Amino acid sequence: MILFFALIAFIMVASAVAVVLFRNPLQSALALILHMICVAAVYAQLDAHFLAAVQIVVYAGAIMVLVLFLVMLLNIKVEKLRPIGRVYMALGVLAGAGFLVILVPVLQKVFTMVPDPIAPLEGTAKAVGRILYTEYLFPFEIASVLIFVAIVGAVMVAKRNYTVVGTSSGEVPESAKEASR
Amino acid sequence: MIPISWYLILAAVCFFIGVLGFVIRRNAIVVFMCLEIMLNAVNLTFVAFSQSVGNLQGQLAVFFVMVVAAAEASIGLAIIIALFRSMKSVETSSAAELRH
Repeated sequence: MILFFALIAFIMVASAVAVVLFRNPLQSALALILHMICVAAVYAQLDAHFLAAVQIVVYAGAIMVLVLFLVMLLNIKVEKLRPIGRVYMALGVLAGAGFLVILVPVLQKVFTMVPDPIAPLEGTAKAVGRILYTEYLFPFEIASVLIFVAIVGAVMVAKRNYTVVGTSSGEVPESAKEASR
Repeated sequence: MIPISWYLILAAVCFFIGVLGFVIRRNAIVVFMCLEIMLNAVNLTFVAFSQSVGNLQGQLAVFFVMVVAAAEASIGLAIIIALFRSMKSVETSSAAELRH
């Protein structure tokens, strides 16, 4: 168990670093897909089986496909490295040191404060669905409205805006009708 | 049995890698991908606490975060498409028309 977790955690962190460091956005997208599959593996280990499946289907299967479509359609070139100035480097080191100073006592507390689980959780689709459709019915319906609004918004933002020019009598010439289709 | 705090530390590390990428990268699509890393780290924290507390409310929170992230992904990428159409590039420094 610990070996599985250590392996998955290592791949998760390594692929996240790879997303940040790769210059080619296509390689970053593929590293992010690997990261999301690792997150799904950790969900499965935390007894969240339904969420692991939803993670693969929604995140790795839909959102990342959308991102890959975008990278393919926009024909992105490889990003060039920009040299970091000396001031920014010093500021970065200072911020990192300050962050470590804050983080280490927090980590010492975290190991004692969070209670470990007593009984295994039932994170199946049946259990999640039972709560989703009774207690969380209203947020569920609002979420469906939200997705609908997002669809309409995305289409409106991304579509091309054609203007159709008509004559003074209100008729639209045939060539303009063809161009706006 | 793996202590829950290990999952939390893993999520925190991934969150800060996402923040680092969000700040450093100039390509708008990669910035969006680092945002997704941050969202995944937060989801992992929710699920870890869901198992620690013992009920499923954390997992339902993750469900709704995924729904919102999917909606935000579609609109954000549509905005990037519209930006590319007028700026002809997806560099974050190229959309500077409001700059003084």
